Amino acid sequence: MGFDFDMSAEDIKVFLDEAEEQLQTMEAGILKLEKAGEDPEYLNDIFRAAHTLKGSSATLGHKKMAEVTHSMENILDKLRKGKLTITRDVVDTLFACLDVLQAFKEEIASGQESAVTTDAIMARLSAIDSGKSAGLEGAAAALPATNVGDGAVPAGMPELSAEDLERLRSARVRGLAPVWVLMSIQKDAQMPAVRSFQMLLALGDIGEVVRSWPSQQDVEEDKIGEDLKVLLLTAQGLPKVRSVVESIPDLKLVQLTALAEVAQSQAQPQAQALAAAPAAAPFVTEAAAASMTADPAAPTAALAQDKGAAGTGGKSASRTVRVDVEVLDNLMSLVGELVIDRTRLLQVLTRMESEREGDELTQVMSGALTHIGRMTSDLQDEIQRARMLPVDNLFRKFPRMVRDIANKAGKEIEFVVLGEETELDRSVIEEIGDPLMHLLRNSVDHGVEPPMERLRVGKPSKGVVTLEAYHEENHIIISVRDDGRGIDPIKVRASAVRKGILSEEAARRMPDPEIINMVWAPGFSTAEKISDISGRGVGLDVVHKNIEKLNGSVEIRTEVGKGTEFRIKLPLTLAIIRSLQVQVLDTTYCIPLSSVVETDRIPTNEIKTVRQMEVIVKRGEVIPLVRLVEAFQLERPQDYVDPEEIFVVIVAVLNKQIGIVVDNLIGEGDVVIKPLGKFIGDIPGISGATILGDGDVAIILDISSLINTVRLEQNRLEPIRV
Amino acid sequence: MAGEQQEQRDAITQVVVFQLGSELYGADISMVPSVTPLQRVTRVPRTPRYIEGVTNLRGRVIPVVDLRRRLNLPVTPPTKATRIAVAELDGGQVGMIVDSVQEVLRIPSTSIEAPSPMLSKVEHEYVQGVAKVDGKLIILLDLARVLAREERKVV
Repeated sequence: MGFDFDMSAEDIKVFLDEAEEQLQTMEAGILKLEKAGEDPEYLNDIFRAAHTLKGSSATLGHKKMAEVTHSMENILDKLRKGKLTITRDVVDTLFACLDVLQAFKEEIASGQESAVTTDAIMARLSAIDSGKSAGLEGAAAALPATNVGDGAVPAGMPELSAEDLERLRSARVRGLAPVWVLMSIQKDAQMPAVRSFQMLLALGDIGEVVRSWPSQQDVEEDKIGEDLKVLLLTAQGLPKVRSVVESIPDLKLVQLTALAEVAQSQAQPQAQALAAAPAAAPFVTEAAAASMTADPAAPTAALAQDKGAAGTGGKSASRTVRVDVEVLDNLMSLVGELVIDRTRLLQVLTRMESEREGDELTQVMSGALTHIGRMTSDLQDEIQRARMLPVDNLFRKFPRMVRDIANKAGKEIEFVVLGEETELDRSVIEEIGDPLMHLLRNSVDHGVEPPMERLRVGKPSKGVVTLEAYHEENHIIISVRDDGRGIDPIKVRASAVRKGILSEEAARRMPDPEIINMVWAPGFSTAEKISDISGRGVGLDVVHKNIEKLNGSVEIRTEVGKGTEFRIKLPLTLAIIRSLQVQVLDTTYCIPLSSVVETDRIPTNEIKTVRQMEVIVKRGEVIPLVRLVEAFQLERPQDYVDPEEIFVVIVAVLNKQIGIVVDNLIGEGDVVIKPLGKFIGDIPGISGATILGDGDVAIILDISSLINTVRLEQNRLEPIRV
Repeated sequence: MAGEQQEQRDAITQVVVFQLGSELYGADISMVPSVTPLQRVTRVPRTPRYIEGVTNLRGRVIPVVDLRRRLNLPVTPPTKATRIAVAELDGGQVGMIVDSVQEVLRIPSTSIEAPSPMLSKVEHEYVQGVAKVDGKLIILLDLARVLAREERKVV
């Protein structure tokens, strides 16, 4: 069935763009909530996005979208006011909402109504809203609700003895806060009692177990039921408690609640005492705030928060406009045509020059064409620059994916993303998404071991998967690494033979580093069991192909038991770097600012010679000098007189400082790296060239290789101790 | 007849004619798509002498070869007539500095002779043939060879 919206195609396009942005904001926010608990800032971000989407989808006339966002808003509002607590279920439900919204968004984009209905998600939302946790499998669903609203103790929490209450009260003073943990025991658990015992010990490690149901004694005697409830006193935050609970298999976290109200309603401590609780227990104050929602002051506070947020929102409405990629592509091809026309005119000019012997008209034409040439190349550069995007645009979609895969695979993953600000051409970003997704899946699924296995080998139960982008010389590196089990060459060898990729003989002869690269072979997979995540033997070969298509390369660094790193190296043809521009003779050189420590003018008489090397001393440190003129064997004019002062650019290479002597410092600027091309080839010390504002070409230095070559040529002196 | 005309057209090559010293050289027009006045060329360190450097050709950085040096001819300072003839090769564009660019000639293949050491100072291997047009000798260069990437040692 088609849709008929009362809106123009352009309006719908704007709506879709904005919806995408809001979905991304919500996704990022929910991920942060999951890590940090009820942070008002994140909650406000998500709330605002949901609210905007609600408004715009209602305007558009998509009732179901408005309905879902409206219910989300209710939940978020309760979270914000402390009437609800973040639980795994809440997070999962919010994520599920995003999936539904995404589906709606796609239906609007395609104009075709999809089969997605709101029933299931609305049921989950209203269950949370009314305080009943839904969406958990089996027994868990029947278990008591997540509800700390209105100062009530969580449903299902047994009565506490006076002694317990007294203990809670006194704990406040020690900076400990009560946490209510409810876990369900998986029906198919092999050793439920052992797991329960482990859990009590693990929780005891991060706090004091006030009481548990069943008690520790019952657990030891194997008297357990379907769930385990624990009243814990801890100075750690809720996320910590959650990660501890999740580190023990077979027990599923159903409810995790910070209890401010138990102590308050039953024992009446002063609000000040709560507020004065040490910062070591951050959620105590949060919980206290939650318990004060009945206070008339609270709405004002929330209002103020809203205003503040709105203020920053206004400021961040930055000086940017949204441009369709198609427009950029069109601009790019238009410039291409301009360049061709200019070439034609140049040919006319050539003929004019030969036929008219450089008369006035020819000169005017020549001047104008030179100018047009400069303008076209500037235009080309600017459009190219407009095509650059921070990889953040791509990286941002991975945390959710990693989280979902980790949950499914029963892995505990800390996902670290670095270098999001690194810029890449849009087309590269589009192409590199799939390969990165495959590699991340691979790391989570195959790289990182299950929590128990990690503990057995003495690693923390939580594996770390890192995604990082950075510039390295004339390339961009995107690294996907994990601290998991590494790739075992023995297993790879066996698997390659078993799958008929290598003969036994060939496998035996192949050295380990080469054998590792067999993982790129089509049809290869070492996964022992086939999961729906990976292990079907497709993936890595596709990754390899896609990266090669981009003229990139990928390298595996692995160590058994330590982890694996996939390093994707992408050419920098379109990349922009910030550089310091310097002059030597009449040539401009660009030094990547990332390696520059400082610049200085040094009187020539302060240069000393140590073991035939020129050095300067700065802050007690001896810094060897490299004169670019000498390193590059450039010729000075005969009448050149050494100046009384030299300009030194101090760069750091592998933690060593080296001073590069140049004739002059020009300034800083962004440059687009262009390759020198095949004809010239690779030159040690040079990573490429760039076109400066005045149309001249400048040479971009590759500092680390420059230093290396200079060192080699330095008569192979003994290593210089710097 | 149409067939004959066709044959005649096939037999004609269009050649860009340029000058180095007193001699005329030529290259197939399809290999030399553009000519540009001599503009600023940036030296690239650690390259052979005959590589003059790199220049900005319509927003692209292209290498520039001093064709006199490349062909071991005596080097002279540039004049107003000096041009960069841009060759299109497999590896990309390469600029060639020439004394001047004369014209584009249509040369029937019948007036092209095999290279002979007598006719040119330039090394044999770089010459594709010699054309005689209106009493002038034009040395046709094999640009793919002249601008071949050879194994170069870093200087």
